[in-house]
Amino acid sequence: MRCEQAQEQLLDYLHHELSPPEQLVLDAHLAHCPDCQAELESTRQLWLTLGKVPTPEPSEQLRPAFYAMLGEFKQAAKPSPARVWLAQARSWLQNWLTPQFAARVAYNLCLLLVGIAGGYWMSRPQPAAPATGSQQELAQLTQQVQDMRQVLLLSLIDAPSATERLRAVGYTKELRQANPKVVEALLGTLNHDDNVNVRLATLEALAQLAPNEPAVRQGLVRSLAQQDSPLVQSALADVMVQLQEKRSVQPLRRLLRQPDLNEAVKTKIQESIKSLSSDAQTHETFFLARPAHPAELSM
Amino acid sequence: MLRVKAGEVDRMGLLFERYHRKLFQFLYHMLGRAEASEDLVQTVFYRMLKYRHTYTGEGEFRTWMYHLARNVLADHLKQNRHASRHHDVASLAETIPGGPGADERLQQEQEVATLHRALARLSEDHREVLLLSRFQELKYAEIARVLDVSEGAVKVRVHRAMHELKAMYLKIEN
Repeated sequence: MRCEQAQEQLLDYLHHELSPPEQLVLDAHLAHCPDCQAELESTRQLWLTLGKVPTPEPSEQLRPAFYAMLGEFKQAAKPSPARVWLAQARSWLQNWLTPQFAARVAYNLCLLLVGIAGGYWMSRPQPAAPATGSQQELAQLTQQVQDMRQVLLLSLIDAPSATERLRAVGYTKELRQANPKVVEALLGTLNHDDNVNVRLATLEALAQLAPNEPAVRQGLVRSLAQQDSPLVQSALADVMVQLQEKRSVQPLRRLLRQPDLNEAVKTKIQESIKSLSSDAQTHETFFLARPAHPAELSM
Repeated sequence: MLRVKAGEVDRMGLLFERYHRKLFQFLYHMLGRAEASEDLVQTVFYRMLKYRHTYTGEGEFRTWMYHLARNVLADHLKQNRHASRHHDVASLAETIPGGPGADERLQQEQEVATLHRALARLSEDHREVLLLSRFQELKYAEIARVLDVSEGAVKVRVHRAMHELKAMYLKIEN
């Protein structure tokens, strides 16, 4: 240890601020360094003398003055009821008006504003003219649903159970237009299904599609020759009138010539022919003028 | 002090009895005038009552007290910038009989008086740390809290103060 270092520590030594190891090192140095010993001695002397520097006693007035002040303070600090109430209100406010609380209030206000803005945005009038993305999407989805119905219809229409077949036919109710396969399947059912109810339901379904589908109209006209159930025959006649299908007059007449035709159906068909001919006189005369052709009978 | 803070204001009497001499000593040597120092002692105790809610209980009561005392002193010095300082010390030093040939006791008194004058002439910062460490017997760590500086800074300041005191002493003696 060098003297310079030692002398820096002398004061700390006197102040008892040295750590035990530091003190040991310093002691070892002091033991064989007279210069530092002298320095330590003079510093110690100065330190001791400094402690003897006198301080006058505080005057007699200091103590009574203090107690007078203390008494006054107590008097002033004695809380009046109003002040107690005020202090409580203040501490209550301080407890509540924390930054966290302010942040919470601000957050809630923000949520409220977002809600109001959202509601306003949702309720504003939609622009009518251009098809928006969501509208296109909706049309696409509708198309997909319709396609799915048609697939379902095709898969169910040949089911062995009449109920299933009725359900299949029921799917056409929500179709706006049917693809050729569906029309073909429905016409097949109309002509060949064993169950009258299924055939009637199919007729109803086809009647709905008929206004937009020439193929359906044609199929219905041809079907007249194939029906043997009086119920279906009369229903078909009704549909012809409803559709004002002039091409059906001739098949209807042919039906009339069938010997075992139900009386009620006969009357019905006659009425239908009358209704169809009333505003299509020319066609009727044309058809009447033509002799029945064996090929036509086979239709 | 924590009980004072809790509302037992009467307890302040106890603290006054225990600490007012030390506080007076500190203020007297900082200021050099007894009467004004007494007023400041009073002010420090008043502030302790008034600001008792700021006492956290962390650290020793004495560090808080000296902290307040320094503020009171600074305020006083600001208000009385032109007042002469250390008037009392000068008169005290003059009253001590001296001269060569005095006996040992007298010589020692002479030494003390010289040192007193040297102390009074120290810069405020240096006098302050010497008072706190020698008279108030605070550890470096406590002084650091009173002054709001690091412990290392206190150590350096005490060293410099002792050097300055020694130099000042020798200068007055010669």
